[in-house]
Amino acid sequence: MTRLAFLLLLLTTGACGPARRSAALESAPDIRDASLAKGQVVFDRHCHSCHPGGAGGLGPALNDKPLPREAVAYQVRNGVGTMPGFPATEISVNDLSLLIDYVLALREGR
Amino acid sequence: MRKSFIAIGCSLLLASCYALRPSSGGGQTDYSSPRRTDAGDIAVTPEYAVALVASGFTFPTAVAVDESNRVYVVEAGYSYGEVFTTPRLLRVEGDGRTTVIAESDSGPWTGAVFHDGAFYLADGSHRGRILRIELDGSQRTLVEGLPSKGDHHTNGPAVGPDGKIYFGQGTATNSGIVGPDNADFGWLHRHPDFHDVPCTDVKLAGNNYRTHNPLVENGAPVETGAFLPFGTPSRVGQLVRGSVPCSGAVMRVAPEGGEIELVAWGFRNPFGLAFSPDGRLYVSDNGYDNRGSRPVFGAADYLWQVSEGAWYGWPDYEGGRRVNEHRYKPPGPAASTPPMPLLAEAPGKPETPLARLGVHSSSNGLAISSNADFGFRGHVFIAQFGDMAPGVGKVLSPVGFKVVRVDPTDGTIHDFAVNRGDKDGPASLLGTGGFERPVDVTFSPDGRTLYVMDFGVMLMEGKTPRPQQGTGALWRITRVNGEHNR
Repeated sequence: MTRLAFLLLLLTTGACGPARRSAALESAPDIRDASLAKGQVVFDRHCHSCHPGGAGGLGPALNDKPLPREAVAYQVRNGVGTMPGFPATEISVNDLSLLIDYVLALREGR
Repeated sequence: MRKSFIAIGCSLLLASCYALRPSSGGGQTDYSSPRRTDAGDIAVTPEYAVALVASGFTFPTAVAVDESNRVYVVEAGYSYGEVFTTPRLLRVEGDGRTTVIAESDSGPWTGAVFHDGAFYLADGSHRGRILRIELDGSQRTLVEGLPSKGDHHTNGPAVGPDGKIYFGQGTATNSGIVGPDNADFGWLHRHPDFHDVPCTDVKLAGNNYRTHNPLVENGAPVETGAFLPFGTPSRVGQLVRGSVPCSGAVMRVAPEGGEIELVAWGFRNPFGLAFSPDGRLYVSDNGYDNRGSRPVFGAADYLWQVSEGAWYGWPDYEGGRRVNEHRYKPPGPAASTPPMPLLAEAPGKPETPLARLGVHSSSNGLAISSNADFGFRGHVFIAQFGDMAPGVGKVLSPVGFKVVRVDPTDGTIHDFAVNRGDKDGPASLLGTGGFERPVDVTFSPDGRTLYVMDFGVMLMEGKTPRPQQGTGALWRITRVNGEHNR
């Protein structure tokens, strides 16, 4: 429960905070990694327009949130608030896994 | 069970962001003259270098380069915010000073390309023209009467592999309905009968939008239908005849003028046009705004690879999806439903974009690398003017204000030149000397230099643009070292 409380505290204070800019050019995710490259294709097709490069835009930044995989997956599938959900007919199970890997890499590469 | 709880908790917290936070667009800042410029404040990867070429332009919209590598800048002569100046074509001399090649009494001039010893220039004023301008400044009209009296103007041009002049024509409205937002732009008062023109015959769904009447003081509310003048409702099944030239279209004409040919339509504002080394046409397109009587929420800007004769979905589709899906309903009380369909039958199956660019990024001029020494041969470089929030809709963070690169093989989008700092935004917001609002990009004839036309400072005062004269700048980006590995 301690970890849960910590996560919720971080999100409460940080989820709506100032956006971090898109991945710095020098430390962008290594897209020569084939798996991450595929993840970027999925991200740019479905997510980039509201979270350009993982930064804030129409929606909040993704690259500064300590979101666990489960939270990313839930949000993508169910879409809460203004964000639409993306069912498996739009983002397959495999693509969702690649997408989450890429989103987490954006956070590390920020 | 615990994981699910965490996931749902995190999601609910994130979901509240849009409602809780005010708009935070790039133009929502203060500015005091003079504009500072410092190429060191623009980040590129180590293989490239950025330099300032010249500054002090008023509302520049395009850069062109002649066969002798001399550089020219188009000043629009108009900016959103209802500021009128003089449209000019300027030659940039080696010392950064400028020489006037041509000027006009009506703008905006919105784009130019050098070809066969002269400039082909888009005059997006109420005249709607494509001009040929010689190096001595003499002008000849190739095309006139394009429907360019509204929100979006005549754009381009680009020279096709067939030698013809391709150009874009933006729509009059945000999403097909003339409304009070068009009075805010100024043109509804100047041209109260103006409206969008379809390129082919269309049957209307009969959905109308009821608004106040800004043309009459204390007037009664009016209903307006698609492709019709303000205050004119449509009927179910009503036929609207198509004609060329038309709105939201890419068209072409022979370099000596003559009949206008339709290439494709269903765009909203096809601003940038460029051909790849293998002859494919790419077009940047500004997606719907969350404004007006038929607002559309969450619409991307697009990069299209254009197919001859295709229809791209405006006003009933967003990047291939129908806009009457719930996701396009603006949050809050601005609209009680998603946008209603305007067409009884779609003119075709809407295409899918090659890339979906940032919502409200205003992805404008584009250029395609043709030289492997510069790198990224065949990739598309796009100037992102940046958001005009909250006028176009609310954003949580600035969007655009950079040059991005799109890999056409997979549609991925990469920052190419971007302001340094811990967030995106124009230099005036970040307190640096980098980009304000990149509006156009053009390669030199040898493909070794990418010029970036920077419109300059445009603030947003509430929903009203406040463009700042004399703040435009021209940058260049060159390859400086290393073998390119892509």
